[in-house]
Amino acid sequence: MRSLIIEDDPATARYVCNGLEEAGHMVTRCDNGLDGLHAAINESWDLIILDRLLPGGVDGLSIVARLRELGKGTPVLILSALTSTDERVRGLRLGGDDYISKPFAFAELMARVEALLRRSTPAHGGTRLQVADLTVDLRTFRVARGSTPIILQPRELRLLTYLMRYEGQVVTRTMLLEAVWDCHFDPQTNVIDVQISRLRSKVDKGFSPPLIHTIRGVGYVLGTRGTTVTADNAATANGSADGGETACV
Amino acid sequence: MRLSRSIAAQLALGNGALLAMLILITSGVFYFGTVGVLDRSVDGKIVSISNRLVKTYGNRPVAALAREIGEELTDGIDSDTEIFLVTSPSGQPVVGNLSRWPGAGTPLGQLVNREVIRDGRPSSARLYVRALPQGGLLYIGRDLSEQRSIRDLVLHALESAAALSLVLVVAGAWLLHFQIEQRIGAIRRTASEIEGGNLQRRIDVSGGDEFARLGVDINRMLDRIEQLMSGVRDVSNAIAHDLRTPLGRVRAGLDEALRRHQSALPSASPAQLPANPAQLPASGELTSAARAAIEGIDDLIVVFNKLLQIAEAESGMRTQSFAPVDLTLIGRDMVELYDAAAEEAGVRLTAPPGQLPVWTDGDHDLIAGAVASMIDNAIKYAGPGADVEVSAWSAPQGVCISVRDNGPGVPAAELPRLTERFYRMDRSRNQPGNGLGLAIVSATAALHGGRLQLSDASPGLRASMWLPHAASVPAARPPGQRLGEPQSAGTEDSGAVLA
Repeated sequence: MRSLIIEDDPATARYVCNGLEEAGHMVTRCDNGLDGLHAAINESWDLIILDRLLPGGVDGLSIVARLRELGKGTPVLILSALTSTDERVRGLRLGGDDYISKPFAFAELMARVEALLRRSTPAHGGTRLQVADLTVDLRTFRVARGSTPIILQPRELRLLTYLMRYEGQVVTRTMLLEAVWDCHFDPQTNVIDVQISRLRSKVDKGFSPPLIHTIRGVGYVLGTRGTTVTADNAATANGSADGGETACV
Repeated sequence: MRLSRSIAAQLALGNGALLAMLILITSGVFYFGTVGVLDRSVDGKIVSISNRLVKTYGNRPVAALAREIGEELTDGIDSDTEIFLVTSPSGQPVVGNLSRWPGAGTPLGQLVNREVIRDGRPSSARLYVRALPQGGLLYIGRDLSEQRSIRDLVLHALESAAALSLVLVVAGAWLLHFQIEQRIGAIRRTASEIEGGNLQRRIDVSGGDEFARLGVDINRMLDRIEQLMSGVRDVSNAIAHDLRTPLGRVRAGLDEALRRHQSALPSASPAQLPANPAQLPASGELTSAARAAIEGIDDLIVVFNKLLQIAEAESGMRTQSFAPVDLTLIGRDMVELYDAAAEEAGVRLTAPPGQLPVWTDGDHDLIAGAVASMIDNAIKYAGPGADVEVSAWSAPQGVCISVRDNGPGVPAAELPRLTERFYRMDRSRNQPGNGLGLAIVSATAALHGGRLQLSDASPGLRASMWLPHAASVPAARPPGQRLGEPQSAGTEDSGAVLA
């Protein structure tokens, strides 16, 4: 996994680089916009993480815009200290694939990176999602655990399908808020936790094995134990279950 | 505008009244200086002629006097206005040019105005009647018709001048009023623009008069205020950057240490934890301390973000992303976000079904965030067993999204304080929260040109966010309807109309 980090703040850069290296990425870092633009255009990357505001006369957004102009579809994650909605909308409109406000938790960044990398691999088509004995028919929206049908509200169904699409991968609360409720603000309460526990009571209660797992301090993972990374640093180890504290409720 | 309230009108009126008075006085002086002098000179002449005649001819026969008078009447000096008459003691005319004159009863030795017939023509006359020592009466006078016409001429001239002056005074007053009104109006318009959030606006200063100087003073004051405001903004930005960034670093450091620590452990599976008893209790303590510290930092960052959000909204810097948004849809979305949390808190959270779309122009995320805060508040403070209803509607004065609970409500005295930053009611101090929720709702409403209204729902509290109508209403809900979302009532309605 070749990743390019364009970030002028050394502390943030080190934080991101270290984390990605631990997760097995080969990381290259640029500390200004101009070098970053050259590197982004002239080499081939699996992932680019860049800061919105950069020294060197070229800011993060123009790098994204230039990259897209050249027809390169490399996943780009924008980091920014600017939190306003406008900024996020601009960043995404210009071709950024995701946007994180600083300061951020590394786990949040990693979860989004994983989601981006999965998105950039060919989409798994089909009209049916299945994890263990949990199935969702995407045409009829019928949900079942084995042969037992499960009745879900529309929003719960969206939540479940999102979790199933990213099976075995950590998704954060913010990612769920954005994808399922289209909320780009932090409601600051445990609304998502409560939504998840209600979904769990419908999908997992009375069935085995449990599929929805809480990753403490990070988010949630849907999957069977065999296929799921159930560690605090789950996101850092894509597919390599190196153990760790599991906090399934 | 009421006249009594307008300084400009009062100034103009006072100025006009003073001018009119001045004209009146000038006219009076002029009138008495011309007509009055003329009158007095005539009177003086009459008296002095009579004195001369009586003095010269008082001891001589009446015939001599008659001869003298005859000469006076024919000498060509003032003969067209002179009046002379001598009557005998029996009242018969002896000499003179009057054919009818006031008889007995005319006061003697006094100047009077009388109607007479002189040389066969009626005439208004100034008359002086004296008794002659020889007996009989001496009438001396002047015909006043010439003076009358002079007086009429002067009066007429004065009247015309007064009328013209009055017109000028009124016009001048109006002009003065208009000018003052215009200058003040310009200042007031600028002030209201500034009040509307355009702090860069300044008063146009031209010339060096009092208004211009006032304008310069106000502009200088505005410069200062803007400087202070940008100082406040700078402080906000400083909070955002200079505090958030180091907090972020501390957080990153803790986060990294935690991750390192965990991956360094041979295995963190709970079953194997006691394998290294000397190290693990301490490291477990450190781990939970680090986690607590991260959570604390996250809370702080949240408060900073909220304060920044309020500051941004309050400074009235409108975002570019205002677009038509449907309050009904936002209400329903937020209800679906909070339904599980409400369920857990034992609160029934509902949005009435089949509501029409209600459009306003705004920032979707900011409004949704505000509605979320209102719902969060209602769930928190209404308490278990309460009903919370979220509804949106359109009224002539604007559109409204309202969250109503039937909980214990809020004492009327506390209502206005609820939107203060960090204000928390005594009974809510043990609840989690930072006292910024309704302050953000209020700031968001203000940013959109609306307001937050808190009222007693008896029982309970009703929080209503009033916003302006959308400038244009989208014809139908934008494409890309969400999964499982019911068709909007509006679409159904128009379908029914078409059918």
